[in-house]
Amino acid sequence: MKKFLNGPWVLLLPTVIVLACVVFLPLLISLWTSFTPFKLTRPDTLYKFVGFRNYERLFGNYDFWVAFGRTVLFLTIALNLELVFGLGIALLINKITYAQKTLRTLMMFPMMFSPILVGFQWKYIFNDNIGLLNNFLREFGISPKPWLVDTFLANMSIMAAEIWSSTSVFAILLLAGLMGIPKDPIEAAKVDGCNSWQVFKNITLPFLMPFIFIAMTIRSLDVARAYDIVQMMTGGGPAKRTELLWTLISRTGYVDAKMGLANAMSYISIFLSIAFTFFFFYKLMEARKILSYD
Amino acid sequence: MLRLFLSLIFAASLFGTVSVKAETELWGDYNGVTLRVKLIGGGQYENLYNEVIPWWEENTGGKIEIVTQKNHFELDKEIKKDIASGNLDFCVASNHTSFAAQYGSIYTDLNGIMPASVLADYTPLILEHSTVDGRLVQMPRHSDVSSLYYQKSLYEDADNKANFKAKYGYDLTPPDTWDQVKDQSIFFSNPPDFYGTQYVGKEEAIAGRFYELVVANGGALFDEDYRPIFNSDAGIESLEWFIDLYNAKAVPEGVLNYLWDDTGLGFASGTIAMNLDWAGWAGFFNDPENSKVAGDIGLIRAPMGSGGLRTGWSGSHTFSMTESCPNKDAAASFMWALTSNKAQMIEARGGLSPTRPAIWDAIIAEKEAEGDEFMLMVFETFKQSLSLDAFTPPLIPEWIEFTNVLYPELQAAILGDKTPEQALETASKKATEIMEDAGYF
Repeated sequence: MKKFLNGPWVLLLPTVIVLACVVFLPLLISLWTSFTPFKLTRPDTLYKFVGFRNYERLFGNYDFWVAFGRTVLFLTIALNLELVFGLGIALLINKITYAQKTLRTLMMFPMMFSPILVGFQWKYIFNDNIGLLNNFLREFGISPKPWLVDTFLANMSIMAAEIWSSTSVFAILLLAGLMGIPKDPIEAAKVDGCNSWQVFKNITLPFLMPFIFIAMTIRSLDVARAYDIVQMMTGGGPAKRTELLWTLISRTGYVDAKMGLANAMSYISIFLSIAFTFFFFYKLMEARKILSYD
Repeated sequence: MLRLFLSLIFAASLFGTVSVKAETELWGDYNGVTLRVKLIGGGQYENLYNEVIPWWEENTGGKIEIVTQKNHFELDKEIKKDIASGNLDFCVASNHTSFAAQYGSIYTDLNGIMPASVLADYTPLILEHSTVDGRLVQMPRHSDVSSLYYQKSLYEDADNKANFKAKYGYDLTPPDTWDQVKDQSIFFSNPPDFYGTQYVGKEEAIAGRFYELVVANGGALFDEDYRPIFNSDAGIESLEWFIDLYNAKAVPEGVLNYLWDDTGLGFASGTIAMNLDWAGWAGFFNDPENSKVAGDIGLIRAPMGSGGLRTGWSGSHTFSMTESCPNKDAAASFMWALTSNKAQMIEARGGLSPTRPAIWDAIIAEKEAEGDEFMLMVFETFKQSLSLDAFTPPLIPEWIEFTNVLYPELQAAILGDKTPEQALETASKKATEIMEDAGYF
């Protein structure tokens, strides 16, 4: 006991206690509730164990799996587009020598809006009757589009709002990466006759890859913030055409008050987050090996 | 009833120039008492708090601490979370007759707390709707029912009259049935610039609109045992009304994402001929600063369905008191103040429908005295709608959960993803599951 009290465990204890309270305990409680028929409005149901019943229901729930698949697709497309746009913006800003700091600040403006506000703004822009975009189209004699109704357009509209809101995260992280790239290899390559594309492909991009995967990992975990945007713009509708896991889980848990079932959905969807995170960390390690960081 | 006293006021209270029938007041000395309250927020609701809270604090010595002020759907989520965590550390909360049944027994039965003479000042039917399992858990603030707003000039236009008569064989007058609404909507529509009508298209909103049309068409959502019976001729007829208007482009294409703000702003934009909406929008619609149809608005009771009934989905905004409230007398006094004659006159002047018969008389007299013909029409129409047409949704805890399985199916049918029969069949199966799980049968 004395050895324990004098050892490093004592110093780690506060951290362990805090982590247990704010991370592990809530996770354990929510895991428990996923094995109960817990309803928010009936707290006594928290103590009724029903085994895997919620999970069994979900495995046969067509709506849940469609929302799951749509979320994977949404994540894949949105994150890749954010990467492409973010990289483009970072490369452009990195080239600028005048007012770069001002532009960097301006670039961060979309991040400063709360997702709810972003959802409101874009809902208004895409409103079919009084929205800015359709009024703009009418001015040029183009027939207005059902932006938030048609399956393809509605998903693209939500994605546009999400990309507008979050591309700057990629841009900032990649700009930091670009600023940290040593100049020597780039100058040597230019002396050896490499053109700009060859420099970008063979030197800049490999140096940026760790930053890209760090940005991807952060965004893949953080992208659920888009819930507010989707909720404001379509609420997952119409007719579930834009239903993502986040809107489905939120409605099940907080509106229908079926928190047990909602937590079972969350635990299944956690595997999605783990898969994305694992993939990006694996790619990050590979990129660091190439650069001999490790 | 410590520290609580009643004072019957026999002299008429004066509000502006119009006298209001006497009421039973519920003041007390609550010096040192602080009431924590959770209130519905938003422009049209907050005037009441700005006036009544200082008034109550001045008269009682008590203090009001607003813990939360947010829209009703967010407030609903917060209260559900409070129930789950057992953290009911507030005394008074905004509530709604459609929501109240969900909250179990967290709210106090006011029958033993509010004196009968106070309760006698409210419309008895509304108090009945505020009762859950025999317990009066709400004090009604204002009531909602929809009436049909329309652009008057469209009906006065000679060309419109002649063309409509030639096409449909009957005179163009403000519609008395939902079939006429459909005809006239299609007639007036000129998409994408102008639409005959619109409807709220998602969540509880479209489920409620569907519900009232089913009733107006002679059907019902549930039988006596709460088995779903809306997959019926009346149900299909009702759903087809929504579908026909959508397919005819007589409503905006994005209507399935619309909620109340969207339909209100749409009618005010001047691009909608007819709009079934709540009383609270009347002032906004007739304000030239906000509305392109100001000065050109007619209003009639909601039209009839094929069953001979008018649509009358109705509910009341209310206040409830928690069982855990440490000072129920003070809370009762505050709830009385929030729904008193003074409070209801403040809200009525904004266009909201009172829950006290005396205020109906007073506001109509006030508008007559002011010569405000528009608001006079609004109050007279909504008074009729509330007294003749209004009916609540089933006041059961499962109402919101039920609407969440119904509305995606209605949307799927409207968009053509499913036939009306398929959509109602699926919704009916899911609703049956909910009712079975809840133990109704």
